[in-house]
Amino acid sequence: MGRVVVTGMGVISALGDSVLSNHDALVKGTCGISKGDLVRSKYTDNLLFGEVKIENERFKSLFNTKNPGVTRTSLLALHAIEEAIKDSGLDNTQLSTYDTALIGASTVGGMCQTDELYNDAKSETTGSVYMASYDCASVTLFLRERFGIKGVINTINTACSSSANAIMYGAQLIQNGFAKRAIVGGVDSLAKFTINGFNSLGILSPGYCKPFDKDRNGLNLGEGAAFMVLEREEDVKGKKYYCSVAGYCNANDAFHPSSLSENGEGPYQAMKGALQKANLLPSSIGFINTHGTGTENNDEVESKAMIRIFENVPPFASSKSKIGHTLGASAAVEAVFSILALHHGEVYPGLNFSNCIESTMLIPVRNTENKKLDHVMSNSFGFGGNCTSLIFSKD
Amino acid sequence: MFIHRSSCISPQHTFGNVDMDTCVIPENNILKVIEPKYAGIPLNILRRMGKAVRLGVGAALPLLTGSEKPDGVIIGSANGGMEDCVKFLNQIIEYEEGRLTPTNFVQSTPNAIAAQIGLTTSNTGFNITHIHRGLAFENALLNAIIMLRENKNASYLVGGVDEVSSYNYNLERLDGWYKKEKVTGTDLYDSSTEGSIAGEGSAMFIVGNRREGSFMEVRGIRMLHTDDPFEVSTQLREFIAEHGYHDAFLSGENGDVRIQSFYNSCENILDPEIVKLHFKHFTGEHPSTTALALWLAVRFIETQQIPEHFIKGPAISKPLKNILIYNTGKGEQHSFLSLSFVDH
Repeated sequence: MGRVVVTGMGVISALGDSVLSNHDALVKGTCGISKGDLVRSKYTDNLLFGEVKIENERFKSLFNTKNPGVTRTSLLALHAIEEAIKDSGLDNTQLSTYDTALIGASTVGGMCQTDELYNDAKSETTGSVYMASYDCASVTLFLRERFGIKGVINTINTACSSSANAIMYGAQLIQNGFAKRAIVGGVDSLAKFTINGFNSLGILSPGYCKPFDKDRNGLNLGEGAAFMVLEREEDVKGKKYYCSVAGYCNANDAFHPSSLSENGEGPYQAMKGALQKANLLPSSIGFINTHGTGTENNDEVESKAMIRIFENVPPFASSKSKIGHTLGASAAVEAVFSILALHHGEVYPGLNFSNCIESTMLIPVRNTENKKLDHVMSNSFGFGGNCTSLIFSKD
Repeated sequence: MFIHRSSCISPQHTFGNVDMDTCVIPENNILKVIEPKYAGIPLNILRRMGKAVRLGVGAALPLLTGSEKPDGVIIGSANGGMEDCVKFLNQIIEYEEGRLTPTNFVQSTPNAIAAQIGLTTSNTGFNITHIHRGLAFENALLNAIIMLRENKNASYLVGGVDEVSSYNYNLERLDGWYKKEKVTGTDLYDSSTEGSIAGEGSAMFIVGNRREGSFMEVRGIRMLHTDDPFEVSTQLREFIAEHGYHDAFLSGENGDVRIQSFYNSCENILDPEIVKLHFKHFTGEHPSTTALALWLAVRFIETQQIPEHFIKGPAISKPLKNILIYNTGKGEQHSFLSLSFVDH
């Protein structure tokens, strides 16, 4: 079995609604975080979000969907997957064979309809139009039906590393002969549920998040979706592809339900395992897209784990300073960003950084730079200690 | 892939002193689990666990007591920590997004079961949760097969868990998935109305590539999404051709007249002498019932004792060695599982 390569990508985030517009914004170092315009919550006006400024009705007319139970999460996912499929040039025949897998990931699913869910869970007699749309699987099933995909279909939830595991599972399905191609990715939309959840934990920043800064004070929530088409290298002769999925590793920190251990055992194992899988020395990694949420706990622990692995920590930055923490979508969205860096030979800055964390003294990339890259790493860590690292390689 | 150990918490006497002959009867068409004492979980931690997490950790712990430590935890659960999810949801609405306590939020994430097993047993290996509704456990099994191909000497804990929570029970009820008339047991299969009975449970397995010490091999698994019974039976025919003869068919039929056609079309392509078995009167209906069916199949093969209430016909005339499981989630998601007795 040869390599698994990425032949198509689609993304929608607070930086834009296409791979092209996201790339432009990354190069310019634009920040997509702003006051909430569309999300309905008590906190809309006094917190900052990585919000996609497109209303549901506009998505619905764009996709000509009459399904009243379709949620924002499904619409964001549809937007990204359409772009990815188009980019890879997969036709309807390829999509509808038993060899095409679809692996989605989400943590919010249809719970963006928080009030409707509250009512339906209590209703005695009738339910709302969203009855079958609350779970995360509803998003994947909506996409499956829309494109008539017939292979292995799955939905994964490992909290904030969910879509990293969707990418890993898709690559594994191909490598072990359970699929010829896999469409993999993740999505989450802003929801009253998660805003209140992260707020109750006291880890939402009152201002712009400041990943890896000494005075960082929490994260900004975001929304978005990204999908990638994975194919076998031997099947794509003559077709363009961006890179290969060279390494992946999922490990558990096994320390605490909602924070990482001091030494970052989970992050360390995930990064180390991904390097082993890719058969690479740490020194060959040219850029790390860090998990970098901007919380007190994550950034220090992730820094320590990077220092444990890398003799010289390679250039790194957090995409979350530009799009917020897109939860179940974050690993997929940031995988697209990592692949863009690799493909264009660029590293993108982390924003809002002023001073180093004293115990680690690491400085993220602060300006867009051209840099020859052969291998990039992307980290995703989630509640429940769920850590996954991915490595994408140019050749 | 070989199954080495298994454990099950269900509405029946499947945990500790197993008694398969007596059937607990559903109450208001709900089969709730018989919860054990959870001796291995410290009280202060147990108190904070939601029900799904308790069921998952409770069924997993007896398999994780020896010196052998699996290389990872792979869980399938459609509804994860939904009970906590709804508790947190209630807080949000009732306190108008005021100052809320985070415990329910942290426990509400579907990955809480696998995470808690990892945390309780200090397992820093592979850890994942599949939540794809009626195929959550099947994807967990496929994931285990894949991990064992990539890690030949490894072993994994793989399991399926789902609970009856106020959230999913009410949604399913409103959507017409439970019967209105009272069901008392195997009369479930004589029903000509829509819906089934609700159930919950947790089944855990230690799997590996090692043949020694195992009674059961998982020979193959196939998943399918379609609403066409003919496509299901056509795919089943292919699956059987690939995996060989089976002498028993364990069917997930659940008395719902709307999806009986899927089970019928599969039964119709089987040799008449294959023993047909059913189990939903024992477990109730929920998205991870295949995990419980797999536990039952392991038990049947290991003990060669199959109580009458599971048998649809014909009567068993010889030891069962190869079992085929077919289940559908709401007539949209389907899975086949081929299992074989391991001769030593």
